[in-house]
Amino acid sequence: MEQLRYMNAQPTLDAVFAALADPTRRAILSRLAEGQASVTEIAAPFEISQPAVSRHLKVLERAGLIERDVDEQRRPARLKAENMAAAVDWLAEFKEFWGTSFNQLDDVLAHMKRAEAKETSHE
Amino acid sequence: MSELPEYITDRVFDAPRAMVWRAWTDPELLARWYGPGAETIIHAFDLKPGGMWLNEMKWGENSMLSKAIFKEVAPLERLVWHHHSSTDSEWNTVANPKMPDWPRILLTTVTFEDDGPGTKVRLIWAPFEATDAEIACFAGAVANMGKGWESGFAIMDEMFAELQAENS
Repeated sequence: MEQLRYMNAQPTLDAVFAALADPTRRAILSRLAEGQASVTEIAAPFEISQPAVSRHLKVLERAGLIERDVDEQRRPARLKAENMAAAVDWLAEFKEFWGTSFNQLDDVLAHMKRAEAKETSHE
Repeated sequence: MSELPEYITDRVFDAPRAMVWRAWTDPELLARWYGPGAETIIHAFDLKPGGMWLNEMKWGENSMLSKAIFKEVAPLERLVWHHHSSTDSEWNTVANPKMPDWPRILLTTVTFEDDGPGTKVRLIWAPFEATDAEIACFAGAVANMGKGWESGFAIMDEMFAELQAENS
């Protein structure tokens, strides 16, 4: 996939989690999911100043969740999906570790019960 | 000091308590279910306080090693261990390669109680002797698994829809 070229520059997931912990930053990501936008455009629906939006964008940029054009005056921000995907994967792994293991334990217990029933019927 | 973040998961199993306990404490049975979709190899298992459980999970070519040191073994009631999430090939505790601030040691407490004909198991994970960064990382992961994280998934859905629209 073309997105793989970003992998080497990928910040650790720690920064991604810290960035996602804030509801305003999550709302900004939602806005950017609709397409790239300038600071003014992003700030419009929020009751916060443009400098505050700029600070949030810096955190998101450092976490590798967005990128911004350097050349243009408006410096529109856009999403970088792959770090978000990595964070979602990590959480899924964490959440599924015990969930999936426990499903497997269900099967082992069912097997043990059948083996025990068989032994009892032979006595 | 503020309270440590905890990850708690409950599950009722359709089997008597003695059988569920056996499935957790007999390494042959444990290896059959521990580790999602993995081939689990238990290299050592010494069920007593201070005893070690050296575990390898294999997914094809990939191996993940971890180490547990039992702290409390109360038959049919309670198992407590220090879970060293990642180790090197010599079983020395190391940072998680994917998530350096993941707690190196998680205090793991598993309790067993009757629940009708079945058994209720509660598992608690909490950072142990953790740095502030490790505690923050674990707190972030636990918090994001709750309500806050749903919006994360919603964002993902939107992004994928967006990317697909761009590519088509």
